[in-house]
Amino acid sequence: MKPKAIFVDFMANIRMWYRSKGTVFWAIAFPVLLMLIFGAIYQGQDDITVNLYVQDMDGTETSEEFISSLGERLNIQRIPQDEDFHDYVSDNNIRAALVVTQGFEETVWRASAGENASIPLTLSLDPTRESVNGIIRGVVMGTMEGWNKDITGGWDVLEYNEESITAEEFKFIDFFMPGVIGITVMTSSIYGTIFRNTKYRKWGILRKLSTTPFTRWEYLISKMLFMTFISFVSTFLIILVGVLVWDIGVSINAYLFVIVTSAAFAFSGMGMLISRFVNEEETADSAAGAVTFPQMFLAGTFFPLEVMPGYLQSFARVLPLYYVNEGLRDAMIYENWSSAMINTSVIFIIAAVLFVIGAVVTRWTE
Amino acid sequence: MDPIIQIKDLTKRYGDLAAVDGITIDIKKGEIFAFLGPNGAGKTTTVEICEGIRKPTSGTVHIFGDGFTPRSSDIRERIGVLPQEYRSFERLTVRETLKYFQSFYKRSRDIDQIIKLMELEDKKNELYMTLSGGLKQRVGVAMALVNDPDLIFLDEPTTGLDPRARRGVWRAIKSLKGEGKTIFLTTHYMEEAEYLADRVAIINHGRIITEGSPDQLVARFGDGYTVTLHGCDVQRVASFVPDPDVYSGNTIRFKIEDPNTISSILSKISEVGLTFENMEVRRANLEEVFLNLTGETLEGDGAA
Repeated sequence: MKPKAIFVDFMANIRMWYRSKGTVFWAIAFPVLLMLIFGAIYQGQDDITVNLYVQDMDGTETSEEFISSLGERLNIQRIPQDEDFHDYVSDNNIRAALVVTQGFEETVWRASAGENASIPLTLSLDPTRESVNGIIRGVVMGTMEGWNKDITGGWDVLEYNEESITAEEFKFIDFFMPGVIGITVMTSSIYGTIFRNTKYRKWGILRKLSTTPFTRWEYLISKMLFMTFISFVSTFLIILVGVLVWDIGVSINAYLFVIVTSAAFAFSGMGMLISRFVNEEETADSAAGAVTFPQMFLAGTFFPLEVMPGYLQSFARVLPLYYVNEGLRDAMIYENWSSAMINTSVIFIIAAVLFVIGAVVTRWTE
Repeated sequence: MDPIIQIKDLTKRYGDLAAVDGITIDIKKGEIFAFLGPNGAGKTTTVEICEGIRKPTSGTVHIFGDGFTPRSSDIRERIGVLPQEYRSFERLTVRETLKYFQSFYKRSRDIDQIIKLMELEDKKNELYMTLSGGLKQRVGVAMALVNDPDLIFLDEPTTGLDPRARRGVWRAIKSLKGEGKTIFLTTHYMEEAEYLADRVAIINHGRIITEGSPDQLVARFGDGYTVTLHGCDVQRVASFVPDPDVYSGNTIRFKIEDPNTISSILSKISEVGLTFENMEVRRANLEEVFLNLTGETLEGDGAA
């Protein structure tokens, strides 16, 4: 054994490793980034602002006290007593709501007096947001349990009931599939554009094209058509698997086409902007990762925004992927047309701005 | 002959560095004109200004007459370009690549004819990524021909190629000369300039040092001929040759201006009974011209 040779080889590997910016990114910056992102998501778990809408049909001091105890852990919003619960929930796009049933106070008093009395409380949840539901369910059930213990020493005076907020039974995969479309369009557009631009620049292809009658705008339009085509192929395949394998009910409509096209333009524009400042093919990987990964985790692809601290939720609302994900869910799954219209408009405007900036900064020549 | 490119007082600065420093030169129609100089001399910058890729800091370039500057759209129809260190689309075949670039032009030339001219018939359906370096460069030259251009820019067309591959590219370029095309070539290989060029401009540190045909430059700035005698008694032979340079035990080297003087020197040596095993006679080349003019070598000893 030659220790010196082993040492020399080891040092050569270290040298080559740190000179490859992409490798360093994946080995160091990426896990650090993950820790920062997930740390930021979960460190403020106690301070999470999860909304619970409550309709107090009892309207008594006791019911108010119960709602206040829920408010210690959840952000309570009120549903007026005179509103039809289901219409209100549907019209206001509410994802978690509790009805405090009429007779709440009376039942509590009777049980306290030793009578065998109970009253059901129904928590309505959106089943596609299981990670948030877990928090709400835990708080509501925990509070009820505490009350039951205080009133009777354990007897279920307050009975927990749960129902789906939507008429249709959605599953987590219904929530997840539009997110998969969003991240696929994002990664293929950003990575594709950055890699193509840096590679073509390095190989001299852009210089060559600049000496031909083919113009920069013709080139950009052609590339956008290609990225849009690829985005639709991916979207089609994701929907196909979702429908055939997971039995997802998907609504195909104009919003879907506008959102996917806008997303392809927005993320390609972002890619053009980045590749303007990334000269080396080797750093393209890191640059693309730095832009895609935070969006992937912070834009509500894998879990709803509500599980994140407030400042991250605010940050998510400036990310294009958030509007793509939300718009696709509204259009394809929930068929919530007013919300779909808003999200589609936002991503359309973002796409126009990013694409124009990207196109203007993309240079073939000096 | 009419100049097809007129470059006047061309300067390109990057901060304090003058990559091109006041170049003035005409390139004539139908000639192969070579810019010869080491890496960083300013060859590519000058050519890329002519191609419209870079903007000059000052000075003018006119192509095909006074009315056209390099960025004119009409110019692009009439020029063909092989950029420096060019690599094409990896997953297109040779024929697909040529068709792709041809689609941009109003003018065109038969693709099969170009493939034949560049000796690429056997490779026309091969993917670009599978080709050797020499073949890739020939495809690069072929791409510059798809619009049947009047003027072709070839920026270091054989850099990095082995001698055999280099000769294949040279043959292809020579065949273009036969078709009356004007070719503006850059190179740091003196053999390439000598073999291909009708006229050579030697460039260093952004300035043209001299220009003329390779023969003219060698005659004007070279050291004539170098004669080397191997296997001789160097001490005795030295008294019969001009400015002898003994560089090993039995080898002697000397320079002469006129090759006809060799026979008289050899006669004198044999008259006194001296012998030698073999003799080499080498004519001065552009490398020596460059060395004599700049004190540097084309490989870049001290050159930027």
